[in-house]
Amino acid sequence: MQYDPTLISALEPDQLAAATMRPFPRRKLGRGVLALLILLRVYIVIAIPIVGYAFVHALLAPHQ
Amino acid sequence: MSENALNLGLSVLPGSAEERVTHEDVLRARDRLKILKTRAAKSPLRLLWLLAGPGVLVMLGENDGPSMVSYATTGATYGIGFFVPFILLTFLMAFVVQEMTVRLGVATHRGHAELIFQRFGPFWGYFAMGDLVFGNLLTLVTEFIAIQAGGLYFGLPSWLSVAIGVALVIGSLAFRRYATWERALMGLAAFNLLFIPAALLAHPSGADLAHALATWGPLPGGMGTAFLTLVLADIGATVTPWMIFFQQSAVVDKGLTRSDLPQGRIDTAIGAALAAVAAIATLVATAPLFAAHVDVSQFASGADFATALQPLIGTTGATLFALGIVEAGLVAAMTISTSSSYSLAETVSARHSLNLDFAHGRLFYGVAVASTLLAGGIVLIPGAPLLAMTLTVNVIATLLMAPALLLLLLLANDREIMRDLANGWWANLAGGTIIVTISVIGALYGVITVFPNLLGK
Repeated sequence: MQYDPTLISALEPDQLAAATMRPFPRRKLGRGVLALLILLRVYIVIAIPIVGYAFVHALLAPHQ
Repeated sequence: MSENALNLGLSVLPGSAEERVTHEDVLRARDRLKILKTRAAKSPLRLLWLLAGPGVLVMLGENDGPSMVSYATTGATYGIGFFVPFILLTFLMAFVVQEMTVRLGVATHRGHAELIFQRFGPFWGYFAMGDLVFGNLLTLVTEFIAIQAGGLYFGLPSWLSVAIGVALVIGSLAFRRYATWERALMGLAAFNLLFIPAALLAHPSGADLAHALATWGPLPGGMGTAFLTLVLADIGATVTPWMIFFQQSAVVDKGLTRSDLPQGRIDTAIGAALAAVAAIATLVATAPLFAAHVDVSQFASGADFATALQPLIGTTGATLFALGIVEAGLVAAMTISTSSSYSLAETVSARHSLNLDFAHGRLFYGVAVASTLLAGGIVLIPGAPLLAMTLTVNVIATLLMAPALLLLLLLANDREIMRDLANGWWANLAGGTIIVTISVIGALYGVITVFPNLLGK
């Protein structure tokens, strides 16, 4: 495809595919955010067995 | 971190300018050029038309097969009453959540999955992507159940309606052009409004609707497990994880910038309003089943409702209802499979855009094609546990919405990437309230899943 600098200037520099493929650096997490993320992991540990139970329960339901 | 360190502009990239520009950039630049010219010509309506899309698609896409069944069940169980204003409230919640994704998209030009991966690390990145792709696959199955059920209403064999659905979903990817894909889907999504004439054919009372909106009542039967389940189902029908990932990625793929934020917000508000009207219309269309005391507890699909409605709202109304169910499944299958593509490709740093050609977007298109084929195939397996999958989808969506919302809120407060578009106090208050509400409701859902008789009938 023909390179047209005028056309490409319609994009902001950080919209270019090459720019967006460069990762942002990892965020430094404060204590509050870390605590929230730990709570989130606990929530997930509890939630996953419930999802499994719901699936097995639905599988074994008589109307299936 | 300084602003400059995050502003990865053209000047800091290696290679010549020509080498750095891709086919995807050229297509997006063409779309941007149209927008810049329209903005310069001061044509606000045309500008809104050009910039609209992600918001309308995400909201009408979420009015999917299972969602319309939830609204239909609500109408048939409770009639016109409490749930009319409640559905409006859920779409207000959806607007608050989705508006954050528009700001994230225009501020960072990154999709949601890649932002989680890059800012919070691989654990949360893979977790968010994994649960989304798995949940999306199960949801896709439910969309093909809707397409199959709608087809059966019109006398089409299951394999034919599923095959047509799969072909249309995969065929929509052949545009290899975001703008064309978006406009085609918006045209298809307009058929979600078929529920409005179906509702009118039910001859609803304007006074009943006004009374419901003003008083949040009546609520026949009061609050029990059935009520709570429908509350959860209606929230799950409006606010779900795939919407967050899809709209942010679509905003980026469309090329929206900070200057487009007002139109992005209006697009989301219009989408929420249209979807709310279609959802309430579905409830109103099925309210005659409540008046006729029809037991809908064994109804598994939208087609069952269409058949039951035939003697009450006529063949035309029932046909419009069945067509709306097919459309709901089809549009959702297209948007949800694309959200899986964006999410997986973003997480593994592969290229991700509907402007890619097939050679450069093998993984991106491959995910959508594979998940569509797999979901369509599962529906056609004789004796497949389709109802179990549908029920599990609801549980997954409700339980995993809280983590998805919390990560969204943390990103929207990340001032290093958001700068002046970071959440203000009102957005945090609204977002925080929604997270707490959904977490409590999700926990309740978990409890009644394990102990179904806890609250009585």
